[in-house]
Amino acid sequence: MSAAGPQGPPVAVHQFVPTLNPHDATGTHTLLLRDILRGAGWRSEIFAEAIHDDLAAEAYKHWMYPDHAAEGDVHIYQFSTSSAMAGFLADRAEPLIVDFHNFTAPELFAGWEPQTEARAARAHGELTLLAKRAELGLADSHFNERDLRRAGYRRTTVIPVLVDYARVAAGAAPDRRVAAELAAVKEGGGADILFVGRIVPSKGQHELVKALWAYRRLYDPSARLHLVGGTSSFAYLKALRGFVHDLGLADAVRITGEVSDAALRAHFAAADVYLSLSAHEGFGVPLIEAMAAGVPVVARSLGAVAETVGDSALLLAADDPSYVAAAVRRACADASLRQRLIEAGRRRVPMLSVDAVAPRVVAAVATVAGSPR
Amino acid sequence: MEAGPEMAKAEPVAEADPKAYVARVMAEIEEEVRLRRSSGDLPPRLERELDELFLAHSPVAGRGGDLTEALRMVDAATFVDPVVPVDSERAAGAVVKKGMRTLLLWYVGWITHQVSQFASAVSRTLHIVEGRLKELERKVEVQRVPSANVVEVQALHRADAWWVQAAVDAVARVRGRILHAASGDGWLVQRITAAGGDAYGVDPRSDLVEQGVGTVSDLRGEDLAEHLRAVAPAGLGALVLSGVVDGMASGERTQLLHLIATTLAPGGVLVVHSLSRSSWDAEDAPYEADLAPGRPLRPETWRQLLAHSGYDAAVTSGPGGLDYLVTAVRATVPPPEPTPAR
Repeated sequence: MSAAGPQGPPVAVHQFVPTLNPHDATGTHTLLLRDILRGAGWRSEIFAEAIHDDLAAEAYKHWMYPDHAAEGDVHIYQFSTSSAMAGFLADRAEPLIVDFHNFTAPELFAGWEPQTEARAARAHGELTLLAKRAELGLADSHFNERDLRRAGYRRTTVIPVLVDYARVAAGAAPDRRVAAELAAVKEGGGADILFVGRIVPSKGQHELVKALWAYRRLYDPSARLHLVGGTSSFAYLKALRGFVHDLGLADAVRITGEVSDAALRAHFAAADVYLSLSAHEGFGVPLIEAMAAGVPVVARSLGAVAETVGDSALLLAADDPSYVAAAVRRACADASLRQRLIEAGRRRVPMLSVDAVAPRVVAAVATVAGSPR
Repeated sequence: MEAGPEMAKAEPVAEADPKAYVARVMAEIEEEVRLRRSSGDLPPRLERELDELFLAHSPVAGRGGDLTEALRMVDAATFVDPVVPVDSERAAGAVVKKGMRTLLLWYVGWITHQVSQFASAVSRTLHIVEGRLKELERKVEVQRVPSANVVEVQALHRADAWWVQAAVDAVARVRGRILHAASGDGWLVQRITAAGGDAYGVDPRSDLVEQGVGTVSDLRGEDLAEHLRAVAPAGLGALVLSGVVDGMASGERTQLLHLIATTLAPGGVLVVHSLSRSSWDAEDAPYEADLAPGRPLRPETWRQLLAHSGYDAAVTSGPGGLDYLVTAVRATVPPPEPTPAR
């Protein structure tokens, strides 16, 4: 445990993150955690390998850290991908906390994105490398904690990822143009099924398209699927578009790319159901965002999904299109079930809110950093 | 929307227990799917066709490791079409493109013809390689020596077995990490840790590892040899092997000893628990014993083998001659020449 000076400046708990982006879960978590650490009395800065232009004032390049280093510093590494930063931190002597957000298993990119596959394999090696140095491993979920244990982390604890769910909560103003577009297509009838997440093989958007096809054939010929999120796999996006075209669903599947918070609110406001068939989730932030927005959730129970949603969603044991379609139909058409899912979701969100999680993260960090002074 | 058969059951029901309510809903959904399938509304064949249709859009390398399937895709891609599409969002664009295609067809055609010929030659070569590979696989398969499975006897591979305390005493105070394989649910790792040792376990039986992960801090679902290849040289203070070496073929055992020689620190301790041959051949021996490629060594053979490899080894036989324990301390200075593999 680091000793703080009796009357000197507060102990610093600095964060290191490979990429600081404003719209991804790790970036948001890092910024919120910085504020929580400062609020608790520690000094805290963010050091990143790459910094989004919008956040240039929020962080330093990681190679600048030696200029800020002081005795008693504690490091938190936001681990979600392979990065040279792992080696940088492994070579330093400061007490280290690894905050693990998981990374997609290499095999889920096999054949699609060889570089991403290789990067995921490297990430596994880096997680093991840092196990020797880490005094504490923080995991978003028990699913992630198991990975930490397997990588050799001795002391671990589970603390949910920090997310400001208010940004999508029902009642906040949506993007008016997007809301108008979505309202216009809704006038023709049919359910709106939503998924939010990067378009990559592991998120299973092609399984969602299969489910939509079955749903339209069995229940609702006018139903639509909205896939919100950017992509880091153009091979998969191309295959997805071709698949949609071959199935004659070009007018029914809307692939939006990345959207603003206001546009995201519009999509949640228009959605009849949030559907996730992701093959790998270390937590699943959009599942909780859907709940915050009052949208019933249907999800494949893989990875950390079951522990993230609790009993607030319909959890599917398989992704057969007819099975998924039947579950979506039920979530859309059964008023009693809809209401129960929406209410359960609204009860779930506060349990994972920043206010609920902040004291836990402060207590966990204090076991390594001690008191701020 | 078309009303499905499940809607008759979808009346609001005020169930107090949310879990029971969701369980009932899920059961009704499954019944709905069963009825839909049996009525022919969505035959399973159509669902399979969806899978195949998506597969047709995925890259060749994204279709798993099936060589024949990959070659089929290569064959389909060997012809390079010289007739460039001329569709355009603007009418004039299509005319311009068509004109350019006509002008350039002699050139594009010459290039694509050669590319197609090259691709065909590569494809043909790959088919020959595939044929020979399959022939080789057939020949190798009948001669293949399988890796030994873990062979455990319930009474001898548990925390109160006669040899466990001796093994714990031998390793608990060594410097560095202590590896137990096959660790199962971590029963011996817990004992060593309780005695003050820094222990962890590996076991290829992932179901047992999963059982122990919650209570034992460091268990890994890995093959022992694969794990040792990833360990740094001299990275281990001690190894305890139980249930893993008994059924190994000679080559696999030799390979394992080489790996141990690399990963065990000088002065480190190697503990081997093995069934005896009589125990191995007993009527009530585990079925894995029959399927193993090798048989347990006699205790003296282990002692000699380890002595030649630079260990100071001692053997303790178990009650009734069912098993024995070899405790070996590695010399702090390795022997000048390794014993040739036998």
